[in-house]
Amino acid sequence: MLWLVQIIGTVLAVGLAPLFVGVAQTVKARLQGRKGPSVLQGYWVLAKTWHKETTVPQYSSWVFRLAPSISLAALLVIAAMIPWGGTVPQAWPHNLLAVFFLLALERFWLGLAGMDSAGTFGGLGASRVTTLGTGIEPALLASFGILWVLSGHTSIQPIAPELERMTLGVLPWGLAALSYALVVLAEAGRLPVDNLDTHLELTMMHEATILEYNGRFLAESQLGIAIKLTAIIGLGWVWLGPQLGSPWANLGLRLVEVLISSAGLGWVESRFAKLRYFQVPTYLAMAAGIGMLAFYLVVSGGIT
Amino acid sequence: MATPINILEETGWIDFNRQQKQSGAQLLALTAFRDRQIRSHWLEPDGRVVSATFLCRGEHFPSLSPHLPEVAWDEREIHDLFGYIPVNHPDLRPLIRTPRWPRHFHPLVADLARTPVWEDAEPDNPAREVEGEGVTIMKVGPTHAGIIESGHFVFSIMGENVLHMDLHLFQNHRGVEAALQGLDLSLVPPLVSRICGADTVSHQANWAMAAEQLAGHQPSETLVRQRVLLLESERVLSHLNDLAQIPAGVGFQVANQRALAMKETWQRGLFSLFGHRLLFDTITPGWTATAQMADLITLIDDVNQTWRGWRTFVEGHHGFQDRMRDTGTVKRGDADRLGAQGVAGRASGLAFDARSLSPWYHDLAVHTSTDAHGDVAARFRVRLDEVEESWRLLRKLATKLSQESAQDVEWQPPQDLCGETVAFTESPHGLNVHVVALENGKVTRYHIRPATFRNWPVLALAVSGTAVGDFPLINKSFELCYSCNDR
Repeated sequence: MLWLVQIIGTVLAVGLAPLFVGVAQTVKARLQGRKGPSVLQGYWVLAKTWHKETTVPQYSSWVFRLAPSISLAALLVIAAMIPWGGTVPQAWPHNLLAVFFLLALERFWLGLAGMDSAGTFGGLGASRVTTLGTGIEPALLASFGILWVLSGHTSIQPIAPELERMTLGVLPWGLAALSYALVVLAEAGRLPVDNLDTHLELTMMHEATILEYNGRFLAESQLGIAIKLTAIIGLGWVWLGPQLGSPWANLGLRLVEVLISSAGLGWVESRFAKLRYFQVPTYLAMAAGIGMLAFYLVVSGGIT
Repeated sequence: MATPINILEETGWIDFNRQQKQSGAQLLALTAFRDRQIRSHWLEPDGRVVSATFLCRGEHFPSLSPHLPEVAWDEREIHDLFGYIPVNHPDLRPLIRTPRWPRHFHPLVADLARTPVWEDAEPDNPAREVEGEGVTIMKVGPTHAGIIESGHFVFSIMGENVLHMDLHLFQNHRGVEAALQGLDLSLVPPLVSRICGADTVSHQANWAMAAEQLAGHQPSETLVRQRVLLLESERVLSHLNDLAQIPAGVGFQVANQRALAMKETWQRGLFSLFGHRLLFDTITPGWTATAQMADLITLIDDVNQTWRGWRTFVEGHHGFQDRMRDTGTVKRGDADRLGAQGVAGRASGLAFDARSLSPWYHDLAVHTSTDAHGDVAARFRVRLDEVEESWRLLRKLATKLSQESAQDVEWQPPQDLCGETVAFTESPHGLNVHVVALENGKVTRYHIRPATFRNWPVLALAVSGTAVGDFPLINKSFELCYSCNDR
């Protein structure tokens, strides 16, 4: 049963990822007073890009060709590790810390690919993405620290039964959720940190690292960024959202939550202009600080 | 405004031009002619135009650039197009010339009836780059990801900081000045109208003004009002576009799209009023397109309704204002030294606005808005004010015009028109100057000095020392025209 929920959950998360991105894009378009493309546009773009000719820069190496696959693989594993049904089967990879390592792995290869593309923008993007990573990781750990400290584990199986009993106070919950939401914006390359819609090479972060890709490699990267968004939003709801009795109900609830979050993401992105690059570390420090505050409130035992 | 030819010697030439600058005069143009004359036109603070001429010694003339940095590009352009050599010029790299041009090919003196034999060379000119440890050279363009014209920028960067930006423009040099040479004056308007899509009315008005001045024809008050109406309509169109582009530079799409919607409404309105979305072919010597004034007032009211909400929205947006403040600052002294034009100059505290010296605007009392900060925010704010000022002028003009009778008798410039003159208007991008010389109804020299030609070096200065990621924002705050520049 759990196996089935987990497999179906993973397939749905990956399959629906472009739709979730499409929902965010549609909300953005509406708020800009445009009709915008269909919410299914992501699928058409993927299909189009996939069937286009794939070329590689003359001066790039095997790193450039391998990176999209490794990044996509890392993100697929993350999507599969999210406990869509509330927990995962016994033999399933279950240590949540691994999610963070996989995110780091994906970022590492993204950076390598950027530098190996032998263009100046790739190097610039690699530098920016890596710098961002050093701020994202502590902030992620800070908000997840609560979960681990409360349950005494970093694996989802022992945590899962705790999730139902564990109820955070409004304040720590709110702080943890805010911290996580700020990190999601940064990690998924969204405004006010990065702008996936821009054509301005000089301002790009994530997009600059994949600027030289086309065809299948680009499709892999585009699918990857959609999966990443779905997975990290889903992961947030696993521990911040309510838990239902049956794994199927949990899976359904997660997907609805991700859908609503995507629409909310579109709204949030429309509120902001992009931050100055040199203010992004401050932004991430703020996210980490809020997470640490929630962590402290929980650990000090006063308010849980 | 026929200008007496006043030929000077080396020191006299440099002194005259320096003194003009020091006395607060505005340089209109530095123009070379086929007969080896180099002429400078200055607009004095009281509205008088004075000029001086230097006759090249052989191929040489003394460079003014060490004394007046604003003419550095003019002299490089003369060097490329005429082959006259400015002696003591600090940077004589090719500006327009590409390595594909034959060695002694200078389009404005060459016999263009024969196609030159192009050299087999890479069309890339040397860039001025910073060298040193940790310095990266980043090249952007000439082909860009957005729908924009061709500009090649060579950045020397260190980490996230721009040390220097070298501009390589003129990628699409069209040779408009060469095409105008020898043209019959009846064929001039369509070509002048297409120098640029953003400042087209200003270019057309300049030609009409020049031709009428040479013929000694005084256009009627009504005709002049109709032209000013078009000039101001164009300013609104261009500023709405620029105001939309600035938020796009920081990913603020809501402000961008809403401003673009206003621009589209305005443009459709112009189409139904004057028959062209960009106002091409609306002014010729002796004639101007007319429209129903009531419709124009309705159009202004319509756009103005959205405008008020939009202006409050962007001015109150903290994140957007923060990105603009202290970004891409041009100090007043630098703006003056480089001759910054239009919004770029006024946002740095230079009060010059050609409208206040133009006889066409004499009864309109144009309010010139300036800002001392010189940053992106200042350029944004000056544009906001100028749109509202243009609407005020348009309403005033429309009221006056609706009380007046329709078009007066048509006038055509005589077919044997002769002489030389200078005409200027304040285009949306700044002071736009045409120096026109005619002989028997044929153009012998047509020099176009658009505002953007002065402002590009100002942009390069504004960018140096800022963060790489701020370049699009700073660039869009100038929103310089490639087409005017690559004429």
